Amino acid sequence: MNALIARWRGQPKARTPDESYYTAGQFALIRARFMRNTTGVIAGGILSVLLLMGLFAPFFSPNAPGIEGANPDYRRGAPQSIHFCDANGCSWRPFTYTYTREAPAFDLSALAGGDLSALDAITSGDSLNASSQNRFVEQTDQRRYLHFFVSGWEYSLLKIEWLGIDIRSDLHLFGVDQGQIHLFGTDEDGKDVFSRTLHAIWVTISIALVALAVKLFVSLLVGGVSGYCGGRVDAVLMAITEAVRVIPPIPVYLACAVALSQIDLTPVQRYFAIAVVIGALDFAALGRRLRTHILTERNQDYVMAAKLSGASSSRIIWRHLVPSFSSYIIVDTLINFPYVILAETSLSFLGLGLTEPVNSLGVLLQKAQDPDIQQNMVWQFAPVGVFVLLIMAFVFVGDALRDAADPYSERKR
Amino acid sequence: MQAFLTNTWLLWLLSGTAALLWWRGRSSQLFYYIFNRYLLALGTLLLVSGIVFSLMEVLPGDCAEKMIAYKNTQGEVITQAQIDAERARMGLDQPLPVRWASWVADLTLKGDLGFSCAKRQSVNMALGDRFWMSLGFCIAGLLFAYLIAVPFGILSAWSLNKPWLDRKRHHTPLRRLRNSIGLVIAKLVDLQLRLISYLGLALPNFLLALSIILLYVFAGEPTPTGLFSDEWRGQPWFAEQGFQWGKLNDFMGHIWLPILVIGWAATALQLQTVRALVVDESNKLYVEAARARGIDGFRLWSRYPVRHSISPLFNSVGFDFQRIFNDLPIVAVVIGLTDAAALLIEALAMTNDQELAAGILFLVALVVIGMNFITDVILAVLDPRVRNSVMQAGGH
Amino acid sequence: MSINERISAPLLEIRDLGIDFHTPEGVHRAVSNLNLSLQPGEVMGLVGESGSGKSITAKSIMRMLPGNAELTPESRIRLHDGERPVDVMGLHGRDLRLVRGGQVSMIFQEPMASFAPAIRIGDQIVETLQLHTGVDYASARRQGIELFERVGIREPERRFDQYVFELSGGMRQRAMIAMALSTRPRLLIADEPTTALDVTVQAQVLELMLELREQFGMAMLFITHDLGVISRIADNLTVMKRGEVVEAGSCDRVLFAPQHEYTRRLLDALPHLEALPPSPAHRPEPLVSIRDLSITYPASGAGQLPFKAVPQMNLELPAGQIIGLVGESGSGKTSLGKALLGAAPVSAGEVHYHLETPIRLGAGRKIKRKELARVAQLVFQDPYSSLNPRMTVRDIIAEPLQALGLCRNREEIDQRVIEVAKRCHIEVSHLRRFPHAFSGGQRQRISIARALVVNPRFLVADEAVAALDVSIQAEILGLLKSLRDEMGLTILFISHDLSVVANLCDHVCVMQHGRLVEEGSVQQIFLQPQQPYTRALIGAIPTLRRPGQMNSVVSNEAGAHA
Repeated sequence: MNALIARWRGQPKARTPDESYYTAGQFALIRARFMRNTTGVIAGGILSVLLLMGLFAPFFSPNAPGIEGANPDYRRGAPQSIHFCDANGCSWRPFTYTYTREAPAFDLSALAGGDLSALDAITSGDSLNASSQNRFVEQTDQRRYLHFFVSGWEYSLLKIEWLGIDIRSDLHLFGVDQGQIHLFGTDEDGKDVFSRTLHAIWVTISIALVALAVKLFVSLLVGGVSGYCGGRVDAVLMAITEAVRVIPPIPVYLACAVALSQIDLTPVQRYFAIAVVIGALDFAALGRRLRTHILTERNQDYVMAAKLSGASSSRIIWRHLVPSFSSYIIVDTLINFPYVILAETSLSFLGLGLTEPVNSLGVLLQKAQDPDIQQNMVWQFAPVGVFVLLIMAFVFVGDALRDAADPYSERKR
Repeated sequence: MQAFLTNTWLLWLLSGTAALLWWRGRSSQLFYYIFNRYLLALGTLLLVSGIVFSLMEVLPGDCAEKMIAYKNTQGEVITQAQIDAERARMGLDQPLPVRWASWVADLTLKGDLGFSCAKRQSVNMALGDRFWMSLGFCIAGLLFAYLIAVPFGILSAWSLNKPWLDRKRHHTPLRRLRNSIGLVIAKLVDLQLRLISYLGLALPNFLLALSIILLYVFAGEPTPTGLFSDEWRGQPWFAEQGFQWGKLNDFMGHIWLPILVIGWAATALQLQTVRALVVDESNKLYVEAARARGIDGFRLWSRYPVRHSISPLFNSVGFDFQRIFNDLPIVAVVIGLTDAAALLIEALAMTNDQELAAGILFLVALVVIGMNFITDVILAVLDPRVRNSVMQAGGH
Repeated sequence: MSINERISAPLLEIRDLGIDFHTPEGVHRAVSNLNLSLQPGEVMGLVGESGSGKSITAKSIMRMLPGNAELTPESRIRLHDGERPVDVMGLHGRDLRLVRGGQVSMIFQEPMASFAPAIRIGDQIVETLQLHTGVDYASARRQGIELFERVGIREPERRFDQYVFELSGGMRQRAMIAMALSTRPRLLIADEPTTALDVTVQAQVLELMLELREQFGMAMLFITHDLGVISRIADNLTVMKRGEVVEAGSCDRVLFAPQHEYTRRLLDALPHLEALPPSPAHRPEPLVSIRDLSITYPASGAGQLPFKAVPQMNLELPAGQIIGLVGESGSGKTSLGKALLGAAPVSAGEVHYHLETPIRLGAGRKIKRKELARVAQLVFQDPYSSLNPRMTVRDIIAEPLQALGLCRNREEIDQRVIEVAKRCHIEVSHLRRFPHAFSGGQRQRISIARALVVNPRFLVADEAVAALDVSIQAEILGLLKSLRDEMGLTILFISHDLSVVANLCDHVCVMQHGRLVEEGSVQQIFLQPQQPYTRALIGAIPTLRRPGQMNSVVSNEAGAHA
């Protein structure tokens, strides 16, 4: 960040490497190089904000994401805008307005009078269409002020069941005077889209984490065994990897998801099962690369030096080989985050992954298919925006980290 | 005799090719290499068929149940004993390896992908033209991706590490201005394209398709889903008055959407690959040596870094195809296509049609492996570097 | 303008050259205040160690600086093109192209990497010729083949249509020279053209360059770190150190009456065959005996034959001496060194360490790795890849102690590490650092310290100084000598560089194609070589020419024995 500021000021600072550079380990060097990448730093900032909001979603969301937090008086409601100024003057405290439901547009009295043309008008027009049932108007004379750090619905901050720990809290970042606030509007049940999106971020990320952990485990197993054993074991494993690599993965996930849907699982089990499937089948690329990495690294002089110093195999593996690709693995994992998230959303999109009422980005994205939402509740596309932002942030950070990752790339003259 | 030949034609074709390659390979390094690759490709295919076949076991139900279920709809009352009898008749009570072996045997003898119970017709028939349609989509998407990614990837590589402005002290002011304008344009195009391509990575295909359809909805235009509008769907290509240009026009008005959608994500990835490859090559000493000989500008870039990064790019065509096909099913659902990818989704998610799904997946793998084989052979013939390593690996 | 004046006008004139590098850490000046002028037909040697700015100076003449480098405003580079002087700095477009490759050509250090791998060599030459002379393809090709003949490439027509990886190392450099000469340049810049070649090939290429210079009459800027090579070919010398000229003058003057202390140090590092150390009166007992040793590498792939690197070797290594093992690339010397440490596949015979508890290595025997590691250690060629970049220097040096379990606790390890570090002149405060903080020479010290930490009796140094600059080489060689004298260490010093061996070793073994050609004391080998191959090798050593001696590459017997 300092480098960034220095660059803005336009002063190339002459700096000779000092002792801290000489005694910096690989992760410190990676961090220093990453910090020089402007886009990476900015994307990293956005990413950490999103992740924090996802992790502490209950604190940031003014409403409970489930049906219990739904607002029955504001179903299918549009996003409520926040103002500082209006015709009645300005205020430091941001405010929003009270909304009232518009009266039904059709004239029931005419219908009661037996006027058939009135019935015709109602049925042929779109006044019976779901959207027009709820139309809200702002009451610009009734301000509702925003308050910060308010208490609202209760949630558990930290819950570890087998230890019996359950810290509960009802503190929220913001709320309004009366009623509820819906920054992104509500869905057909009156659930707050903003709160659902925040909760969905963490669900999706945690699925990706589990999937990537499984993927890493399988890849390490395949790549490590293949690279370290070599010979026939290597040939067989690589032939299988090659065969897996040519089959398109999404149909394979689909098949597994269908099979899972036959088994009676709780939502949590289902969620982990999908993550494991996504992770376990995605070993081909990383496994192959780890194998090549181990093969090249194994022939490096410093590994030979350790061998000639009498170091045992396990010492060579844990002291030399594993650290040599740890940074690589971290970077690869980060780069793969978007792809795993996309796989989860694709499955959910087809209705085979997670389903309502679970909050995952895939579930929220699936709604975008609904023509009713496309035409009458465009605000339900807000999760799409958050999703794209999240993925973009991951992609940029991953790229910057990849560029920064090999601090020893310069060592060869 | 003729019946025997028609029932085993594929086997003769495969083994004939192998024999021919082996025979030529005894005297030629190149053919020996091709023969090896050929065997490797066949071996991989066998493995793939095994994986695909056993994967389909996880789908619920089997052929006998579907058959009986069909009869059930005809009003017959079914007992478990009847299901078991049907199973035995179809050979479904055999263990998995036996069934797999018979499937593979049918496949290698006469290219028969089996019988789809849900559709009650042979997989080959059910697929028919639809597979070619999917292939067409993927190849068009691939071409689209390459057409954009290659030139702009090269531009991106060229403008990497270049400053925004020419501040070289020994240039005349006019020259500095001209250079600077060129640099700024190149940098802006590069930046724009990279942003768009990152968006392509971040926005899932189905969302992209949805957004485009949504735009049509807002504009009040008919959405370009499917392959034809209703007006032209039933019309033949050739009517009495000759070729139906109107149908072609209508077709073109629809076909761009799937191609754009599946091509975009591929473009994003390809753009990065091309950029990395060209940057890699352009840092090599031979480029500097060529520059020291007075070669520069377009001639330098086209003959040296670009030319030398074509082979590795070409080498990955098979896997690019696989990646594009991977996205196709969901896009097909959103856009309402009726190709093999849509069939695949239907078979997997709705009708649990194991045979059809296995057939489609196997065909996709076949295309990928075939492409890899062909690119390997072409590179071995054309690229002196690959040819050299081929010759040395033969080692006589 | 009179004829005299025209002759005295320099071909190349560099005034106040300064080159800045813009790095994320700030601006770094690579070359400052350099003045240099070159007469037509003159050969100028630009001498310096790595990082002295000699290559970047050469590139600035062709305006080929990397993107982050910039010339200072007061820099002037002028090229006198026949009648009028041309300011290289102001050139662009076609004019610049005519200078690059037309009037000035360049030869690079690595011929393999400087030809495009997927374009035929001939086509690259034809391309250059057509660009500069505008001749048609057929006559460009004819000219190219003719040049191939002149630079001594056999079967020029066939070679012309081959790719670079199909030629041998010497042949590639000849092709590179042919390409550089194809446009009849007035100035040829040769950037370490012989460094990557074997000694005998090096001598041939140098000879060729001298010959061609006579024939073509061009000026040459010859960049090298090797004073021996340059003394055979240059008229004038410019010595550079850290971007500055420390000494310039005629070749004889600089070599035989050096003014600057740095030049003297470079000269001291050269071999002095006249002053070889006398051989000890009696030959010491052998420490290691090699009996009927064969090393065979298994086939690396299907259809390949196993490779026999060393067939049947018999050798005794005298204790307490530095034994030089010499040979050109591919002679099997590295395989032999590794076999002594149990790191190469021995297919027959055995290695016998004569110790209190003797160790035998051989075909079919299980290697007692831990016992062997306490006795014999290896110092690697590449000081960059032989140190794990993710460990601190202290951990690197301590590794053998920990692996062998020689110390009881941390303090003991630290004590031993510090002891060894001091012996190898590594500052104790540097032990916390990571290898990336060090230069090649310092890294090699760390590598030696790691080998010494277990107090071994035997050290194999595989090309241990090949990657280092001459002056740093001298320090490492001094360290090795002191280890022999003070610790009684036996060192097998593997090298392709005979001059280093002559300076360091007591005993020399010469290898060719996996076989021992000749062995004996340094004096025997260097002063009375018996075998023709040894004679050829020694004849090809680029030693300093004697004062007033005419330019010639090969000093005594011609090394046409590749």
